[in-house]
Amino acid sequence: MSEKEKKTNEGERKEGFGHISRREFLRDAGLVIGGSTMGSIAFASETEAQQQVKESDVAKDPCSEESADITTIELTVNGGKYGFRVEPHWSLRQLLRDEIGLTSPKDWCGGHGACGSCTVIMNGRPVLSCLTLACECDGAIIETAEGIAKAKHPIIQSYIKWNAFQCGYCTPGFVTTAKALLDRNPDPTEADVRDALAGNLCRCGTYQQHPPAVLEAAEALKRK
Amino acid sequence: MKTWKKFAHVNAGTVDEAASILKAGKAAIIAGGTDILGTMRFEILPDYPEILVNIKTISDLDYIKEESGMLRIGALTRLEDIAKSDVVSAKYTALAEAAHRTASPHIREMGTIGGNICQLTRCWYFRNPDNRFNCLRKGGRTCYAMAGDNRYHSIFGAVKKCLAVNPSDTAPALVALNARIKTNKRLINAEQFWDVAVPGSTILDMDEIVTEIQVPTPTKGMKSSFIKFAIRKSIDFPIVNCAAMVGKKDARICLNAVHNKPYRALKSEELIKGKSINEKNADAAGAAAVEKARALPGDRNKWKIQIARTMVKRAILACA
Repeated sequence: MSEKEKKTNEGERKEGFGHISRREFLRDAGLVIGGSTMGSIAFASETEAQQQVKESDVAKDPCSEESADITTIELTVNGGKYGFRVEPHWSLRQLLRDEIGLTSPKDWCGGHGACGSCTVIMNGRPVLSCLTLACECDGAIIETAEGIAKAKHPIIQSYIKWNAFQCGYCTPGFVTTAKALLDRNPDPTEADVRDALAGNLCRCGTYQQHPPAVLEAAEALKRK
Repeated sequence: MKTWKKFAHVNAGTVDEAASILKAGKAAIIAGGTDILGTMRFEILPDYPEILVNIKTISDLDYIKEESGMLRIGALTRLEDIAKSDVVSAKYTALAEAAHRTASPHIREMGTIGGNICQLTRCWYFRNPDNRFNCLRKGGRTCYAMAGDNRYHSIFGAVKKCLAVNPSDTAPALVALNARIKTNKRLINAEQFWDVAVPGSTILDMDEIVTEIQVPTPTKGMKSSFIKFAIRKSIDFPIVNCAAMVGKKDARICLNAVHNKPYRALKSEELIKGKSINEKNADAAGAAAVEKARALPGDRNKWKIQIARTMVKRAILACA
């Protein structure tokens, strides 16, 4: 486990005890973050983000100096603009979690693309961030579950009302997939919902709760 | 999550540029990435590519258009776009349905038609992490499925002693629809595209890249269908799938996941051609399709024969 992962995990544990929020912890720990955004949609300009990368402890810079194949990418995540230096073998999921601190793209199936837990919306499509290379995301517009929650999208309340989760681990993947469906098809049928969510696994077995939750969110969106 | 070993990455601007990098060797193409990135993450192949050539940056390879009696699909067209296309669903039903039944919605949003027809086999010995089974298909000496667990393997015998099957859903649809596959070098009939000696999955040269799929518009009265048997309704690869295009005068039926390449059921085609599509005729055609099928010693994959027979029957009935 890398130093950074240890710190992230520690932060999550502390949050569990309620002494310190994950947000505060990570900020205090001075991680390599694009601005102090940490999952919020606060705006960090590209130069700020790049500066933060450079200012960080060299040992912590994930792009080792001798690596020749570093590319600079710019992307929009949950409305905030970011700039990163990335190596070809980084996944988008790694970038979102380790560099921006967005922990909603989960790792479940281990990178086979078989569970849907790491789904993010990229340029309108629900895609698996574990099977997307970060260096190919230059110019991409990305939305994660954090951004959807922050924007107070009705899908969140609807999921809470319908108890469409138990342990909650797969939920961000479902939420992003469902939101991508509603963006494209504001009036889905139950069959459409089942079809769209067919790539998301839930071992708690909450499958029955998802179609009514998504359909209700669609209704709420129409009333808006 | 396992991270990838290091590699270099090039965004190709043109097909020729990508081909020239491939020609130098130790390079691999990445389009949707859903297959290649899995093989690399789990290091299933003896050789790890030194360079990934991204062809998503090549413009004008993502389109669906119907012109001069032909459907033309760019190689970079996402499977979901094909599945959702009105024109494909209306006239090229087998292809739209095959694209729709491929993998999961997310994979379809990422995966391209060009990648789907070029994907590597899912044989579980071949796919075992860290190249644990350096099998025939990777240049080794043994097909581990022969003596091992071969419940999903070929029912139409081995090709150069390899028992793996082609896992593509769109491949049988393209064969049934009599499609052609355009590359940067030539135009290949879909039927010949997978006609290859092991190792290898397609007849493509090292520096050859699929650029377009061409499907002739079916003549009036022809209907096509695709049907798939898998353990789960979504995410899964086929145990057996079948595409059919049947009309009064002609019939083309193709099974997949039963052999090293898509398997055209020629005898079934003869039987159903010109006959009315009903339960009895479809059943006879189904039986004819598996006449040459043989379970491997131990009968572990015998169930696939019955499934293949039923898939052919149902695909034909769906063309009624």
